[in-house]
Amino acid sequence: MHAAPHPRFSVLSTSAAQSSEHLSPAASSTRFSLPSAPSINTTATASKPAAPRQTIYDRPLNKTRTAEVSAAAFAFLFSEVVQYTQKRVSGINDLERRLNTLGYRVGMRVLELMAHRNEAAAKAPRREIRFLPALMSIHTQVWRAVFGKPADAIEKSVENADEYMIIDNDPPITRNISVPRDMSQLSCSSFTAGIVEAVLDGLGFPARVTAHNTPTDQLPNRTTILIKLEKSVLDREEALKT
Amino acid sequence: MSHHLFLLSPSDTPLYSLTHFSSKPAQTTTTSPLASNLPSWSTSAFAGTLTALSGATSATQAYHAQGGTVRMGGGQDRHVIQMIANASLDVIEEIVRKDNLMYLKSVDKFNEWTVSAFVTPGNMKFVLLHEARNDDGIKSFFHEVWELYVKTMLNPFHTAHTPIRSPVFDARVRASAKKHL
Repeated sequence: MHAAPHPRFSVLSTSAAQSSEHLSPAASSTRFSLPSAPSINTTATASKPAAPRQTIYDRPLNKTRTAEVSAAAFAFLFSEVVQYTQKRVSGINDLERRLNTLGYRVGMRVLELMAHRNEAAAKAPRREIRFLPALMSIHTQVWRAVFGKPADAIEKSVENADEYMIIDNDPPITRNISVPRDMSQLSCSSFTAGIVEAVLDGLGFPARVTAHNTPTDQLPNRTTILIKLEKSVLDREEALKT
Repeated sequence: MSHHLFLLSPSDTPLYSLTHFSSKPAQTTTTSPLASNLPSWSTSAFAGTLTALSGATSATQAYHAQGGTVRMGGGQDRHVIQMIANASLDVIEEIVRKDNLMYLKSVDKFNEWTVSAFVTPGNMKFVLLHEARNDDGIKSFFHEVWELYVKTMLNPFHTAHTPIRSPVFDARVRASAKKHL
């Protein structure tokens, strides 16, 4: 076969054209013929206009708004993520930190996409600049965008003014994970904590977010996402109040 | 008449920049003190004359035709443009803390340049330097750039807050600039 006349053709399309030739009965008869025969075929395929490749910029953002992901497929993927990470760390803290980092990458995208879907149609799109409304929108909108349901509760710490908690009674991502007894400290919801941290960071509320198991008798999977805000956030809230 | 667009990450690193020469005639012909120091092609007065002389569509071609002049002048002019864009970041930062709008129109002015900005929820800043008032066009332009930016973010092979090098992104932004500015 001659080299493709247009090197810009993607590997996929030329190889697909070749294989279809080989499969078609007409092409198979010429396969053992004179070497000039394939070159005729090449020019025939090259003269066909190549379909422009679809890029991410061609896909509408709202089309998949209500699309759902198979829970089984996600559970499998997430279990692989946890196993992959676990092989590369030295302890539970390290594992949680890495899961947090992975979640952070998701959270940055969730924030931009969610805001675009909610605000792009508005006349004057707005951002959240106060902390409590931002926390509420994480509790309902981010949770709904990521897990399909709002979180179960928001609590404010009594002892520390800079600590807030988002509580999920049965987080979908850890539903199929049972943590071994010797690792009982581990909460795979650190991934969720990473998402929350990215959203807060993006909105301009830097915080340290961690996940903790807080099981009750009725709800063995209950998980608390603990948000510890940086001091600058509290100062800013104080300044905006007046 | 030219427009300069900069996309800046939350840590104010420029990720993408675009210079667009509009084919629409300039409305303002007032020259400012600084304009006399700049090469004549960069002032709006000259763009207006060119457009009047050669018609709207060929004005942009004229810029490309005298490529040598543009490159030389662009080199001199470029740092002034970047400085104006950078200086406006302080003002933008201040507004962003108090105001919850994403589109901030005419936040800053420097001689003939007006600076408009758009801040995404993730604190990315789009800064546009323009000469004439065109609020609606700029708003639609920012909206399209925002959508393109979100799509760039969704690409799993794109690392956030790194320069955007996609040729498709570049082509789409240019097309949008042509349409709205």
